Parts: sequence; C-alpha cells; structure tokens
Amino acid sequence: MKYEVYKGVVASKDFNQFDFVSHGKKGPICKRVAFTMTEMDNVFNLAFGDVGDESEFDDLSVSDNGDRNKVLATVVDIVTTYTDRYPGRWILFQGSTESRTRLYRMAIGLNLEELSVKFQIYTFIEEKLVHFDKNMNVNAFLIKRKNA
Amino acid sequence: MKKVKKEKSWVSGRGVTYTISDKAAIGVKDPYVAKKLDEANKLLRKLKTPLPKT
Repeated sequence: MKYEVYKGVVASKDFNQFDFVSHGKKGPICKRVAFTMTEMDNVFNLAFGDVGDESEFDDLSVSDNGDRNKVLATVVDIVTTYTDRYPGRWILFQGSTESRTRLYRMAIGLNLEELSVKFQIYTFIEEKLVHFDKNMNVNAFLIKRKNA
Repeated sequence: MKKVKKEKSWVSGRGVTYTISDKAAIGVKDPYVAKKLDEANKLLRKLKTPLPKT
C-alpha cells in the first residue's frame, strides 16, 4: 500500500491507546484509537474518534478536516502496528453512525485485495460471522492478522 | 518517552516512528470507550458461530 500516514503517533505504555494529530483545513485536531478487551476471549474492541480539550473521547464528532484518506490510512497503520505486537488478537470495530459505517465499508471494499493479504476480514450477518465481501451492506467488522 | 521505529510501514511504504508514552491508556474510564465496549459485547453475545479457527 502507498497511502500517506500521519507521523508523530504516540502510543500509551500498555499499547492500547494511540493518539495522533490531523492537520487539515480546520487546523490541528487530535485523534485517538483505543483498544479494549471484550467479554469474548481474545477479541478487542477498537474505538476511534476525536479527542476533546479534556482528553475525552468522542467518536461521534465529524471533524471534516479534509484529510479523510490520510486519517483512515493512519488508523490502518496503527492497527497493523498493534497486531504486529498482538498477532493473535481479533479486532472488532463498527461505525458510530450510519455514514461512518458506510465510510469504513467503502474504505475496506476499495482496498479489500490488499487488506486481505495481511488480514482475515469477517463481518456479522444474521448473528453469524462470514467473510466480508465489498458488496455487503454490513455494520461491523472483525479482523485478525493472517499467519498468526 | 521512548521512541520505537518501525522498519517500514506497510500502509505508507515508508519508515514510521512511534513514541511510547509513560501513561497508560484511559480505557473504560472514558465513558465513550465504555459505551463502545458495551456495544461490542452486545454484538458478540448474539453471535451464534464460534470465532473462525486460524
């Protein structure tokens, strides 16, 4: 892949939280990716969004900073870094709004061939896990590094 | 803070440097992270198939 990503990512010491700064038409906006352990063994939830002044997390925000592709590429880079360290972990993520889910679906669909080299990509259909295909209208994804 | 350099980013094709903070993740103390985790758990509880074998 040859996407531009943001530099200066800061990871928490436990490697479960990653912060970076988006620089776009509205100025600098802090972004955060957080991984938390779910009730299911070896499955971790990914939360993503803007970080407010009090370091609170808000993944409902729509920053519209004109750098969507660079931000999404940075999130994928963070997921790759995270799964370099924890290759056996499953990562679950779902959009917080319909438009954001649609964006994730489109981004994964457009890059499915390349992403599938590195990750197994599943989705939830009628309470079952199935391989994601770009034409599926789905709301959540479950991914894991291949060859882990 | 400690810097960790990745040899090459798979996404960008370039070298990327990550900085490791001396702070731990806020985790579920952040209400939004807790809310998202709750949504994830609800989804997983409904799952009728096991995780695929890898």
